[in-house]
Amino acid sequence: AQNVVKGTVTDENNNPIPSASILEKNTKNGTTTDFDGKYTITIANNATIIFSYLGYKSKEVKYAGQKEISISLEPDVAQLDEIVVIGYGSVSRDKVTSSISTVKGEDLVKQVASNPAEALQGRAAGVQVLSAGGNPGASPQIVIRGITSTLGSTPLIVLDGVMLPSGTSLNFLNPADIENFQILKDASAAAIYGSRASNGVVLITSKRGKEGKTKINVDISSGIQTLEKIQMAGASEYMQVINLRRTNDGNQPLYDPTNITTDTDWWDETIENFAPITNANINLSGGSEKIKYSGSVSLFDQESNYTKGWYKRFTGRFNVDFKISDKVTLSQDLSPRVEQYENTPGLLYNLLRIDPLTEVYLPQSQRTGNIFSIYEASNNLVPNPVGVASRVFNETFFFGFFSNTKLKYEITNDLTFNSQIGLNLTKSRTDAFSPTYFTNPNQQRQINTVFRNTSERFDYVLNNTLNFEKTIVDKHYINFLGGIAYDAQNVNFLNASQDGVPDDENPLLRYISAANGETVNASGSESQRNIFSAFFRAIYSFDNKYTFNASIRADSSSIFPEDGRTGIFSGVSFSWDIDSEEFFKSEIINNLKFKIATGEVGNQNIRISGQFFSVSDGNFGFGGDRVVTNFLGNFGNPDLKWETVRDQNIGIDLGMWNNAFTASIEFYKRTSEDLLFNVEPPNYTGIPGTIAQNVGSFESRGFDLQLGYNKQLGDFKLGLNLTIASNESSAVSIAPGIEQLLGQKREDLGNRFIKITEVGETVGLFQGFRTLGIFQNQTEINSHSSENGTIIQPNAQPGDLIFEDKNNDGLLNDDDMQTIGNPFADFYGGLNINLEYKKFDLSMQWYGTYGNDVFNYPSTFLNSGTQDVNIAAGTLNRVWSPTNTSATYPRLTQQDRNGNYQRPSDLFIEDASYLRLRNIQLGYNFTLPGFQNCRAFISGQNILTITGYSGFDPEVSGGGGIIDGFGVDYARNPVAKTFLLGLNLSL
Amino acid sequence: QEQLDDFFSTEEKSLNFVNGIYNKVNGESWWQVTMPRQINEMATDDNWSGNTLQPRPDITGIAAYNVFPGSTYFNSFWESHYIGITRANIALERIPGVNMDENLKTRLMAESRFLRAFFYFELVRSFGGLPIVTTYTELLEPSISDKVRSPIAEVYELIESDLNSAINDLPLKSQQSAIDLGRVTKGAAQSLLAKVYLTEEKWQSAKDMASEVINSGEYSLETQFENIYKVNHYNGPESIFEINYFTDLNFSEVGNGLPITNGSRGDQGWGWGSPTSDLENAFLSEGDNIRLRSTIIKHGEPVYGDPTTTSFDGKPTENKSGRTNRKFYVPVDERPVPYQRATIALPYIHIRLADVILMHAEASYFAGDEGTAKTSLKTIRDRVQLTTNMALTGDALRDAIWKERRLELALEHHRLFDLRRQKINGVPRIALLMGPNGSFVNYNVNISTDPFETTNLGEPQDKGKFFDINTHLVWPIPPEEIQLSKGNITQNPGY
Repeated sequence: AQNVVKGTVTDENNNPIPSASILEKNTKNGTTTDFDGKYTITIANNATIIFSYLGYKSKEVKYAGQKEISISLEPDVAQLDEIVVIGYGSVSRDKVTSSISTVKGEDLVKQVASNPAEALQGRAAGVQVLSAGGNPGASPQIVIRGITSTLGSTPLIVLDGVMLPSGTSLNFLNPADIENFQILKDASAAAIYGSRASNGVVLITSKRGKEGKTKINVDISSGIQTLEKIQMAGASEYMQVINLRRTNDGNQPLYDPTNITTDTDWWDETIENFAPITNANINLSGGSEKIKYSGSVSLFDQESNYTKGWYKRFTGRFNVDFKISDKVTLSQDLSPRVEQYENTPGLLYNLLRIDPLTEVYLPQSQRTGNIFSIYEASNNLVPNPVGVASRVFNETFFFGFFSNTKLKYEITNDLTFNSQIGLNLTKSRTDAFSPTYFTNPNQQRQINTVFRNTSERFDYVLNNTLNFEKTIVDKHYINFLGGIAYDAQNVNFLNASQDGVPDDENPLLRYISAANGETVNASGSESQRNIFSAFFRAIYSFDNKYTFNASIRADSSSIFPEDGRTGIFSGVSFSWDIDSEEFFKSEIINNLKFKIATGEVGNQNIRISGQFFSVSDGNFGFGGDRVVTNFLGNFGNPDLKWETVRDQNIGIDLGMWNNAFTASIEFYKRTSEDLLFNVEPPNYTGIPGTIAQNVGSFESRGFDLQLGYNKQLGDFKLGLNLTIASNESSAVSIAPGIEQLLGQKREDLGNRFIKITEVGETVGLFQGFRTLGIFQNQTEINSHSSENGTIIQPNAQPGDLIFEDKNNDGLLNDDDMQTIGNPFADFYGGLNINLEYKKFDLSMQWYGTYGNDVFNYPSTFLNSGTQDVNIAAGTLNRVWSPTNTSATYPRLTQQDRNGNYQRPSDLFIEDASYLRLRNIQLGYNFTLPGFQNCRAFISGQNILTITGYSGFDPEVSGGGGIIDGFGVDYARNPVAKTFLLGLNLSL
Repeated sequence: QEQLDDFFSTEEKSLNFVNGIYNKVNGESWWQVTMPRQINEMATDDNWSGNTLQPRPDITGIAAYNVFPGSTYFNSFWESHYIGITRANIALERIPGVNMDENLKTRLMAESRFLRAFFYFELVRSFGGLPIVTTYTELLEPSISDKVRSPIAEVYELIESDLNSAINDLPLKSQQSAIDLGRVTKGAAQSLLAKVYLTEEKWQSAKDMASEVINSGEYSLETQFENIYKVNHYNGPESIFEINYFTDLNFSEVGNGLPITNGSRGDQGWGWGSPTSDLENAFLSEGDNIRLRSTIIKHGEPVYGDPTTTSFDGKPTENKSGRTNRKFYVPVDERPVPYQRATIALPYIHIRLADVILMHAEASYFAGDEGTAKTSLKTIRDRVQLTTNMALTGDALRDAIWKERRLELALEHHRLFDLRRQKINGVPRIALLMGPNGSFVNYNVNISTDPFETTNLGEPQDKGKFFDINTHLVWPIPPEEIQLSKGNITQNPGY
């Protein structure tokens, strides 16, 4: 008998699924749902119906006479059939042979941040997002498998197939527009991107419309940011510390602590307790078989916790796909954006150092100058942070327009031609003004200046590819891709300034023509760079068991001299699906895959000027008249070449209990060759500055581990994702004649370099003096001597640091410096937890590092030091005194004859392991008339940090590269805690 | 930008390149060379570090002989001079190949030699033995990083040879055209060589060389002492080697910065380096008001030669002695607008005739010619209307010559090197002034009643008590250089 059954297929959110497949089991009888997810099928008695749709778990329903069978499909957590974008194409996940991590857009939007990269932290193993601090609009740095280049470690960003210029910040993207991130971590995966891929590649796919009814999503959230107060000494403690410092040195005290007239709390004066943050996004999408569309507009608005500094962003994105015929599809994306911001001044360093005895404002009677001169100058000449903030005037207006046109022509079922034109246009304008002011002779500006800087950037990319994909006799999968690409980048800027605006205080006069001073400056430049490329990739898979992948790319770049323009990069990889083998029978393990890969990629961001021995000019006077002078400005290196990275990757993917549990572990070795570094020669050479050199080869080894667990038990749903990674680089060789690379010279630590890289050792280690505690009495000082009885620290007094005489020569000098810390973490990683129970959902994002050292630079003054700057509250309890002999920090002295604070030592090195709750969000789903779904949430960002580190933020930047600045804390504006309320509506 | 290998193509470019060596005589910016010279002055009995608001180990510490080897100022002084040496080496190597007027070529080579000798002399008396680099080519060899410090004697050999060669080839001041005034002359080279000989205690050679200058007829003393240091007063009759600073706001670092760094905090200055009451007493003990009023400005008093300033603000709350150096002071009406660092047209005089005459007196005394010594001493005292006791002899004459040198050249950055080289019974005079029992330390701690110095204890009165004769006759090698040379360049003892 024939029975007619009707129904609707919907997704987990009750949205209809068009084109879902309905099949009568064990027959060829089937149909698909229509635009509204509705279907009608005629089936036999006792039939079983299979409902399926790509990316969703299939469901089987036994027919028992129902007239209507409506069904809701659940997303397939296993995602085995997930499509992975691999550069100029895509394959199903089981054909991936190299190291590619995927992060879904839905995970990104849980964190409200100006930059989508913020939300990547800890979600993909081996991918670190180094925070740029707490300023609005700050752009964090994505680091894939550790920093191995000195040229910056920013990966190549490719948006919907368009390569973006090096250093592009992800700020311009609305996180809600992102379908997913694919991160190509190893060289074999990245080789298809050639000379720009040595730091890995981040492929971003934006959301596109799907066939079906128009869907509208509205997301709004708003909240406040707050900073945890840093407790500095008040007037009483400050006076006591300064007095003790002086009396310990045999001098008279300076202050009378019983007579406090001023006790300024600079934190309270400078920092605003609450700063607002708002994010809003509206998205509309849908489509028919012929036209699919997706459009969104968004607004993001963040203010800083300082009196100056804010960031606003407006974005739009409109993606349309036209199916012109069965064979031809045309897609057009348009994405305009506007960013507006005022840079947040870096006030923290001054705020920490200025003394509490200084008033914020001069008394009314002493004010003589303009409104920028009403701030009192501190006695210790630290700029008054409130005054500094008052004089900051800068505003940047940024306009960007991105267009992406794709034509897809299916020549045959197997052969496809793709053509793409991507345009990226940006314009920016910064207006700034520096008013005149006078606080004291060292802090004044006698002439004001108004600035306008503009820049324009126009890049375009042409990609043409031909792709052949076919499965032959069900066993041989073949995928060939060949293509050529042309990439042109044009940048120009114009900077102008003039001094002498007649009125400092009138905001309407802050433009160039309003100035009438003598000094007028204009400068500009224009640069162009073109890259022509050809590439080829072949994938062959046998019986879904053995998959081979090989790719090669040739890049010809205009930035290199003609005879060295072309570089060839390649990668090969192989995977073995063990679970597909006949012999492999397991009820528990449903996926077991082994991968091995090797490849080579390059980095072309070299400093071109480094090649030249250029002559600079200056001025000098004879007879009171000016003459031109010339001198050697740069000592060049004509043999400079680009860096290359070669790597090997080996990994295992595992899925158990129908992929409820997944695991992936990969081990890798990366060898970077011809690394560029600016080497500082001895000063007696008279060579100005540094010499750019290829300094040999570094090797980086590490592993990435990713564990996932997803389970539904009745109304309770659990999702866990744990990533753990480890990475350390060592120097295999350094260039001839150079035995060590030195970095981070610190003036107040004796103009010594605190970072060192030597052959055979971990790169960028901290170096300095090792301390052996604190001298408790003169006997200890006398017995800290060489074999022949020479006292090693004759100037020491009880309470001073004991330094190790490493070479046992009875003298404490620079020969006794040694490595004292390692900035690399033993492990870093993240844990993401998603819980759902009935209408509630809870998600948490944790991130942490373990075992890394940080050079805590502020601790060179926060616990005394030698200068009369403020100290952290409680210093008196932390410094040695005859009654506080177990103290960590040495005695108070200004003369510091022992050099406690004038040399780098392990006193300033701290373990900065930490665990941070970057995001926690609690949501509640409810319904309102007219809406399909409503969800309200409350969330907190960075609200909990567990660490033993004494600095303000253990998340220290990697600025300056691996050899140089990595792991040094310079008291940037710390990351704020953010509390938000939000609403998601869909209709 | 032009490349070095293509640069030396014309006369003009060769000239410009030699001009670039001059840039390094005083460094481009205040901290490179002139601040280190000020710190040298602070490490003597003539100056306090002065600024009591900013106790800094890299300035105040050095002045107190609690020396911070890592001070930026040692570092920059060392680095800036070696950059100058390399500029000179490039000129000496490349100019011979340029097709140009042979006379000019000879002169430019001689100027380069003088300047190289000047740099090495400044370095050797600051730091002791030095790595010696005399060519540009060797910088391109990997072995350049294996240099070690050559003995002091070898450095002096190079200096003497460069100066002797320069003396042969340089023109007299009177032979220079107006646009070349300020370039080094035969007289400058002879004067510098006289100073080198004096430092080496080659008394007769020093005397002879000084005589050459004095008898050349090229120079004469300014009739008024106060006219030696004047804004826009270039290459005066007494001036032998000077930097012609000028005012032009369109160019950075072309003017003198010392009026600001050395100026009072009450007068738009930074307050570094203020004259001691000990120096003031030295003038008073001679009844030497003419030089005193042109050397020291005192808080609350009018400034000599500046009718606008009737009561000077020496900011004694922020300044150790309430005193300021008059030689680097610019009268209010003569100041550029805006009045700021590196815009001030006050020449910086390295060598002037009075210096040479007093070198001549000193060298003559030690060469055994007391009569000539006294004649030269009298020349200097006559100008400032002081009588000279022509009966002086022996130690008393020696002390009189030394004292005259102190008073005449006070605060002109000569004092430290004078005190290091002048010895009594083989002991350098600096060691008699400084140290726990030094006479200068004793004066400040036990005798002085100066109302400013004894009140503002922001800079301790016992400055200099940490002096150690085994360490402090030279400055430390910058630790950075030891690191960069992988320890090939060794530290001076005690640091």
